[in-house]
Amino acid sequence: MGTGAVVARPRRRLPVIGRLVRGLAAPLGSVLFAFVVGGAIVFATGANPLDAYQGLLCGGVGLACAQGENSALQISNSIVYAIPLIMCGVSVALPFRAGLFNIGAEGQLLAGTMAATAVGVHFAEWPTVVLLPAVLISGAVAGALWAGIAGVLKATTGAHEVVTTIMLNYAAQWLLRYLIIGGPLQPPGEFSASAPIGSNARLPTFLPNDSAVIVFGLPATVYRVHTGLIIAIVAAAVFAVLLWRTSLGYEIRALGQSQKAARYAGVSMRRTIIVTMLIAGAFSGLAGAVQIAGVDHGMTDKYFSDTTGFDAIAVALLGLGSALGIVLAAVLFGALHSGGAVMQSDAGISSNLVLVLQALILFSIAANFLGAIVRQIPGVRGRRSAPPSGAPATALVTESATAPPDESAVST
Amino acid sequence: MKHSQIRYLGLAAAALLLVAACGSTPSAGGTPSPTLKVGLVTDTGGLNDQSFNHLAAVGLAKAASTGTICSVGGLQCSGGLNVKGDVVESKTGDEYVPNLTNFATKGYDLVIGNGFLMQPAMGTVAKQFPNIKFAIVDGYCTDASFNDLKLSNCMDLLFKEQESGALVGAIAGLLEKAHKAPKNTNVIGAVGGVSIPPVNHYIAGYKWAAEMVDPGVKVLVGYSNDFNAADKCKGVANSQIGHGAEFIFQVAGGCGLGALQAAGQAKVYGFGVDADQKGADASVIASALKKVDVAVYTAIQAVVQSKFASGENRFSLQNDATGYQLDNPLSDGTQLPADIKAAVDKLAADIKSGAQTPPDTIPTT
Amino acid sequence: MTALSDILHLLITASLWQSVLALSALLLLPALGGVISERSGVVNIAMEGMMLTGAFFAVYADLHLHNPWLAALVAMFAGGLMALIHAVVSIRFRADQIVSGIAINIFAAGLTVFLVNRVYGLQDVGHINTSESLPNIALPGLSSIPFVGQVFFDQNVIVYVALILLVLTHIVLFRTRLGLRIRAVGEHPQAADTAGVNVFRLRYGAVITSGILSGLAGAYLAIGISNTFVPNMTDGRGYIALAAMIFGKWTPFGAFVACLIFGLGEAIYYNNSIIHASPYLLSALPYLLTLIVLAGVVGRSSPPAADGIPYVAGGE
Repeated sequence: MGTGAVVARPRRRLPVIGRLVRGLAAPLGSVLFAFVVGGAIVFATGANPLDAYQGLLCGGVGLACAQGENSALQISNSIVYAIPLIMCGVSVALPFRAGLFNIGAEGQLLAGTMAATAVGVHFAEWPTVVLLPAVLISGAVAGALWAGIAGVLKATTGAHEVVTTIMLNYAAQWLLRYLIIGGPLQPPGEFSASAPIGSNARLPTFLPNDSAVIVFGLPATVYRVHTGLIIAIVAAAVFAVLLWRTSLGYEIRALGQSQKAARYAGVSMRRTIIVTMLIAGAFSGLAGAVQIAGVDHGMTDKYFSDTTGFDAIAVALLGLGSALGIVLAAVLFGALHSGGAVMQSDAGISSNLVLVLQALILFSIAANFLGAIVRQIPGVRGRRSAPPSGAPATALVTESATAPPDESAVST
Repeated sequence: MKHSQIRYLGLAAAALLLVAACGSTPSAGGTPSPTLKVGLVTDTGGLNDQSFNHLAAVGLAKAASTGTICSVGGLQCSGGLNVKGDVVESKTGDEYVPNLTNFATKGYDLVIGNGFLMQPAMGTVAKQFPNIKFAIVDGYCTDASFNDLKLSNCMDLLFKEQESGALVGAIAGLLEKAHKAPKNTNVIGAVGGVSIPPVNHYIAGYKWAAEMVDPGVKVLVGYSNDFNAADKCKGVANSQIGHGAEFIFQVAGGCGLGALQAAGQAKVYGFGVDADQKGADASVIASALKKVDVAVYTAIQAVVQSKFASGENRFSLQNDATGYQLDNPLSDGTQLPADIKAAVDKLAADIKSGAQTPPDTIPTT
Repeated sequence: MTALSDILHLLITASLWQSVLALSALLLLPALGGVISERSGVVNIAMEGMMLTGAFFAVYADLHLHNPWLAALVAMFAGGLMALIHAVVSIRFRADQIVSGIAINIFAAGLTVFLVNRVYGLQDVGHINTSESLPNIALPGLSSIPFVGQVFFDQNVIVYVALILLVLTHIVLFRTRLGLRIRAVGEHPQAADTAGVNVFRLRYGAVITSGILSGLAGAYLAIGISNTFVPNMTDGRGYIALAAMIFGKWTPFGAFVACLIFGLGEAIYYNNSIIHASPYLLSALPYLLTLIVLAGVVGRSSPPAADGIPYVAGGE
């Protein structure tokens, strides 16, 4: 699905700054478009868009807080939300490059939380140097295996990954409920949660775990930003290196461009599909493990309503499939998530407006509305050497259009 | 840990430089308000769940004279306690801690968490803000292992749902025994949302009382695994009706409305939950009450009157916060027979006096 | 073992199969919409959002108009409107169709709850009286046939509609000129264009049709099966319909078989009060079953050749 191959038009290299500006123009323009249309919707239903956006701005990035919110806290909340989105975003983006649609990041994340919790609880007395890596690795392995099922089925029987990953999502959700309600991970008692993982299994926060330490007017423990952020950034970097600097990355991209061409180039389709899904699942599983080790310290029923893996699809798409783009998109979505709640408590406007904004951003970036509008303005037409119509985003999923800088150098 | 703390502080300074650059709002800068400020955080069921969270909002609106609880619309703020009432929905479980923390950092006098699922989040936040008062409906402020932290600033608003469940269970059992049920199959059903304590308390009382007044009765217990999707509860209820159930007790919030609808379509009886659900379907002959609004109002009142008491606050028949409400008439248009109503009221009195104690776990038979 | 024998006992009851069919119809409508849309070459993963929108507007309209048929029309219109957005974005603006579909789903989830909040505030949305719901219709005579009558002829009106649409979709797609054109546009748009077929018009029509069908499914869910709107009440069924469509290899009857499997799983789950098994493992059953069937029986499924590729007139 969505393997729209658009041939790249060779274009003169722009200076670095120019490229950065051009690269950011579309996403920023899309955000602007979303806020204008979203504001119109708020206005049409009889509320004040400025109140709404003040709340969003405050909750998202800690600016323009009207009711005594702590700015530092808002920023830290946004980052905490962004961490798993980065890893799951990468997990969606990698298979996209191979022409595979991984709707299953959610299930893979849940598989990761289950394995990480099991290890973190069962081997709670192990020392940190052993236990913490074990927790993270077990999460990644579980996620990889969960996605691997879809990969193997696709490679061997041709079962479509969209169907299998959706099925695996549901299977993971129900398995998780079983494990903590009457299942083996539920401690005695009637609570729908696992026992907490050992303290040695926890990812440290950046600030000391001591509520007597006051940072920006609040106890340090309030800021939950944890070292999982580093893991997430490293994961994004690994994704970029893997995709552009390794032969596997070349094979993945080749597969995404055209299966036929990939076969001619000597790429083993089966192997590449399976390996791609395994790696993608590992990213999501790692996200689950990081959530357990960094935030929740145990599996609770909050995972029944988790949507990180689905949000990550939007993050991957908004990030145009690039590592930096995914990180920025995850931060934006994290900020919107955090901002929505403040908007509701300050301005009384449903935090679901955030979903409307996210959708509008996606529409806009996919359809390049802004480009279309700009082209309507007389005089602009000639200056911008935009492609005649359609969107740069037409091919953003497969990214077949963007010629990598040194593709030939890495081919095997 | 000591020297690593210093290292952390260094990291912290670096990581939060950005924050400093943006400039944090001084916490003293907020506009002084003459009234107390109360913040309510819902669980993921949302405010339009037509039961549990809705009732909490009703309680807050009763106390509030201003705030978003009044401006959102739909509820009349009667301003009984002249407080500012703000409300925020948690879209996902990820939001519990940040939403509670936000109210706490904004200097709210009382922060109310609504729902069993929020217990560890309440414990985490309440511990960090010992000067702010917290109240949680259906639970305690706990650690990650669900152990009560027994914090001096946390009020636990707990209901004896089994009492309300027992009273409607008695109605079902007595009607079966008196052969006044639609087909007198002697089978009754309960549709739970998810198998968690507040749900199972209701069902425990229901089954206990029905079996006590009508020893031959068969009680079917099923779960929809959902609190929102009405069609799922309808499916579970239809299955129970197909297996002879003539009374359907819904314990699944918005989802359970589907169970009541199923009862109506199959011409059997339904029991509402939490709120008076007479309007949900003509089949609803009674509702098992859990006056979350009373609990929320009581907690606010305690703070306003400086009588805040941490620890367990039980809401039961004793303080008129549980009970039952007769709703629509029976299928032949008559009211519940007087002798049955008297027997149910007798049971209520017995429970209230302690002569009878319904169990809080579902009896196995 | 007891769980297994419980289930086997269930399988011989008419009421089980009655609810299997009722639940399948809910999935079948959006799945048919998906088939039509993708056969014309437009990937549609937005059935979830279109259904949810339909569900909200069905309830909103029924509460005002007190007429389930008009409410169903409003729901179809609303679903069609969401589909129109998808069509404009992916056909006119040639956006990536998966992005657009995901955006529709997020948009619908946010917009419906936002509207509930703005329109009803903290009040109940309200309940639809049985007399103003989409009715159950027991076909006289036929419904009294033992077993078969209960399963096939004592159903909600939308179930009959869905089954008729199933046959109709099959006939139109595979037995008519229109269907030939739709499939041609989905396989070889350039060739179809050359042959004088209006690619854009057909694609717009197909996508909007998918929205109308999904909107109808939303109405069936909200004012046929349930009697109120609850946030997120579709609960992923649009995604299940998507899976059913692919499982069924983009054919109406193939999708129907998949819908029946999911319907069976859900109907079995509803009987958890009499099955001695963890309700959670029971819930996972239909999904695991699908995986196994996919692995063993169904095998490779590939979409129409031009599925997901925006068409540029005279281009490439």
